[in-house]
Amino acid sequence: MKINLLDSLKKYGLYMLLITAVFLTACGDDDEPEVVNEVEVITDVTLVFTNTADANDVVRARAQDPDGEGVQELAILDQITLTAGATYTLTYEILNALDPADVEDIGEEILEEDDEHQFFFSFSTDAFTSPEGNGNIDNASDELNYTDTDDNQNPVGLTTSWTAGAALTGGTFRAVLKHQPDVKTSTSTFNDGDTDFDLTFVLNIQ
Amino acid sequence: MSRVFRTWIRPKSSAAVLLVGFLALFCCISSLQARQNKRDCRHQIKGKVLDATTKEPIPFVNILIKGTQTGTATDIKGNFLLDQLCEKEHTLIFSSLGYQDLTHHHDDYHDNPVIYMAPTVSQLESVIVEGEAIVGGLESVAVDKIDGTVLENKSTRTLAAVIEEIQGVTMVSAGSNVQLPVIHGLYGNRVLIINNGVKHGFQNWGTDHAPEIDIANASNISVLKGAAGVRFGPEALGGVVMIDGNNLDLSKSLKGNIGTGFQSNGRGFYTKASLGAGSEKFSYHFTGKFQKVGDRNTPDYVLTNTGMDEQSASAGFRYHLPNWDFKFYYSLVNQTLGLLRSSVVESGPLLIRSLQEDRPIIIRDFSYGINEPRQNTTHHLATMTVDWYSDFGKFTLLAGQQINQRKEFDVRRNADLPIIDLSLNTSDIRLEWLHPAVGGIEGTVGVQYFYQNNDNNPGTGTTPFIPNYNTNRVSLFLIESLNRGKTTYEAGLRLDHESNSVRGREVNQDLFSNVYDFTNLTASLGLVHQISDHWKLRSNIGSAWRTPNMAELYSFGQHGFKTQFGLWRYYTNEDNELRTDRVLTESDGVIEPENGYKWINELSYDKESHSLTITAYSHIINNYIFDRPVDVISTIRGPMPVFIYDQVDAVFAGADLTYRRRFSENLRGGIGFSYLWSRNVLDDEPLINQPPLNLNANVSWKTPLFMGLSSSKVTLEASYTFTQFQAPRTVKPEQLINGEVIVTPDSEIFDFQDAPGGYFLSNLRWEWKRNRFGGNIEVRNILNARYRDYLNQMRYFADEPGRNILLTLNYNF
Repeated sequence: MKINLLDSLKKYGLYMLLITAVFLTACGDDDEPEVVNEVEVITDVTLVFTNTADANDVVRARAQDPDGEGVQELAILDQITLTAGATYTLTYEILNALDPADVEDIGEEILEEDDEHQFFFSFSTDAFTSPEGNGNIDNASDELNYTDTDDNQNPVGLTTSWTAGAALTGGTFRAVLKHQPDVKTSTSTFNDGDTDFDLTFVLNIQ
Repeated sequence: MSRVFRTWIRPKSSAAVLLVGFLALFCCISSLQARQNKRDCRHQIKGKVLDATTKEPIPFVNILIKGTQTGTATDIKGNFLLDQLCEKEHTLIFSSLGYQDLTHHHDDYHDNPVIYMAPTVSQLESVIVEGEAIVGGLESVAVDKIDGTVLENKSTRTLAAVIEEIQGVTMVSAGSNVQLPVIHGLYGNRVLIINNGVKHGFQNWGTDHAPEIDIANASNISVLKGAAGVRFGPEALGGVVMIDGNNLDLSKSLKGNIGTGFQSNGRGFYTKASLGAGSEKFSYHFTGKFQKVGDRNTPDYVLTNTGMDEQSASAGFRYHLPNWDFKFYYSLVNQTLGLLRSSVVESGPLLIRSLQEDRPIIIRDFSYGINEPRQNTTHHLATMTVDWYSDFGKFTLLAGQQINQRKEFDVRRNADLPIIDLSLNTSDIRLEWLHPAVGGIEGTVGVQYFYQNNDNNPGTGTTPFIPNYNTNRVSLFLIESLNRGKTTYEAGLRLDHESNSVRGREVNQDLFSNVYDFTNLTASLGLVHQISDHWKLRSNIGSAWRTPNMAELYSFGQHGFKTQFGLWRYYTNEDNELRTDRVLTESDGVIEPENGYKWINELSYDKESHSLTITAYSHIINNYIFDRPVDVISTIRGPMPVFIYDQVDAVFAGADLTYRRRFSENLRGGIGFSYLWSRNVLDDEPLINQPPLNLNANVSWKTPLFMGLSSSKVTLEASYTFTQFQAPRTVKPEQLINGEVIVTPDSEIFDFQDAPGGYFLSNLRWEWKRNRFGGNIEVRNILNARYRDYLNQMRYFADEPGRNILLTLNYNF
């Protein structure tokens, strides 16, 4: 049997062209990734102590890591200086300011997922008259004045209450936000879950 | 690196150029063809017929060319010869008393077929093994093959876990679900995976992205242990893993298989089915598989969130006409893979604690549920092959299209959003000409066009870890071989030109982009020498190259438990401090591609009851890219160790040995070892994550038959893996964080934990066949050993899975 190749080329060459065409239509786009609202990174944390007796007496302590995951070091910008005997409510501003044009409020996200988050604290022993002691990082059942709870009635710590003790200079105040997905219970501790932030400030009371 | 062609052809116009070239070639050939009308009756078929069970020659087998009176019979040694044939392809019918008839479609381009005929009484299938002419130019490279019969009972394992049984091949992993093959110490982008003829296009970076390939779709797997860059293009530095679907034999009656299996560890189960048939002109083959595994367990605890779900399917079609062969193949793999829950560590203190504890920090009860961290992937592969057997040689046009979609979910505040969401499209088109011998020189000439487009899908809520990119590559290659008596010489050359266009975002959402290209020449030289009747030598020196992948160039920040910076994302300032505040380009310093030169020698001996294979190799890789810890930074989460990608020159040398002995008809045994020595020669220090020395032995016994079994075999395997005594020094994260050890960008490489101790593993397996049924009972890790694998990144957190009992059952029809 002799095959006429020109004929078979006419027959099957068309298939080949089709195949070639089909497989090369996938070409060419130069898309840029879309702008992202970064919800993961925290760059700025401010501790806001508001005097319960005087709403104008606000003590702010800032910590900043301006490049987020980059290697630039974290900076603790302020010391905490409270008035002896005064009672404060501690709240936070937790932001992602990587893109100055679009600052993201991470605090809102934490509020939405408060059943997965808890704040823990440690501080110079007896710096406060309430809570007493040195905080609940070393022992989760130690005294601490959480004034909020999640849906499971477990403490969160987005608001806490503090009454400053006697004068103190150069003490420490450490605030830690733990992320405890599927882990947070009434007995979970500082050692459960992962860390969203862990910041230590100088504490003065005068 | 030579940057020769600065002006790059845009993708669409280059496709057009290829098309025109292809057509021109065709016209040219057909005009030549028209002038040649002589009838050429010099074709011949030479082969051998063996018994499929005993592997002994069968004499006096009748061989008839279908539709003719022409035929012959095998001689006393099972050999046959049909000569003075005027056609290049024939349908042969083999028949012999006591054996199932067999039809085989043969053509000139497959040398020396070996036909394994199945006895009438057995349920074995007849098998045909043909010469390797189709691969072309790779005979001098050490090749190991795993065929379908071996794969049948292993279809729950990953690709890497199956080929790990080959000497010199190991795997790196991120747990039981994510496993990548390692050939002679190299993995990831340094081992090329060819899936049904085309490069598997997937997110091949880091050790936590495995190829989306289900071996249930494969009918055989070959592993090339040499640098096969000439044949297959960039990335084939360490070797090549080739996976092929069913070979779609013609003239084959309807055959099918239904299989199911269960494994105790992870309470996994699977079901699979395949079906295929072939007429004289048309054949088809379908496969499908469903698999589910829950949390695995070590001897002591559950490995929480290590379950997996997988569905896969494939379809192959072949249409055959005289001198023409058309093949179409499609496969789909859909996976949900769990990663160990306790491997997600975002803060330094938790990393310290995880490394200090003997057990993972989170252990829950067994579950089939797959939560975060997990990976969802879907991979589509379609290929089309057209073979044309002309008087001017064989032409093959191969086109492949792949769509790879990957979503990864991490433990984080927005766990319902994927943290990585990528679509990768890959197109590959290749035209090859296997030319007839000219002065004894045979070979293949080819052109290839490769295109890849990677896009980030919006909705992750985080800056993309990998930028969007497009890669275009055009390649030309030539591989020739010359046979002179007992020696075959091979030589090959390849020219690749690759262009990349990258668009990404910095964390402040500023756009960065870059366009860069590479041109590279690779070469290979080899020989196969039959020293005597029983000794054979293969030797090959080959080069291969690859461009740095996107993760190596552009990683920024945290992925898994590492905070990592790519080569173009960090620099050191005049005070030798690390800085990451801008994206670099080639104007800041040229990033050289990796270039490897591998010399591999294989000496084999085969005589009656003994066989021995010794492989020795040395491998130099210039500009070898790896990541290493470099510093500790204070972050809002507390102190964190930081990793950077770095480039050095590396040397690898090693040897593999396999010795097999047949003690009697029913008793066989074997021993083997693999040893690899590797070094960063630029800084004279060890490399991290290199496979340790391994010794292994196996013995198999064909038991007397009982209860109507047609075959029954028991195999015992044992292996000892040594601790990696070439591991880098250990520096614990706490030593960095508390300042006990100071590191700078120039410091010696280190690891966070000592390399795990050596371990002994043993497996026992019973394989049986009865009528149409076949099955397998296997116990892996019989002694329930507690151990950690140095190449599994989960070794920081948890032990390997303990004892596993597997049952499989197959029904063939």
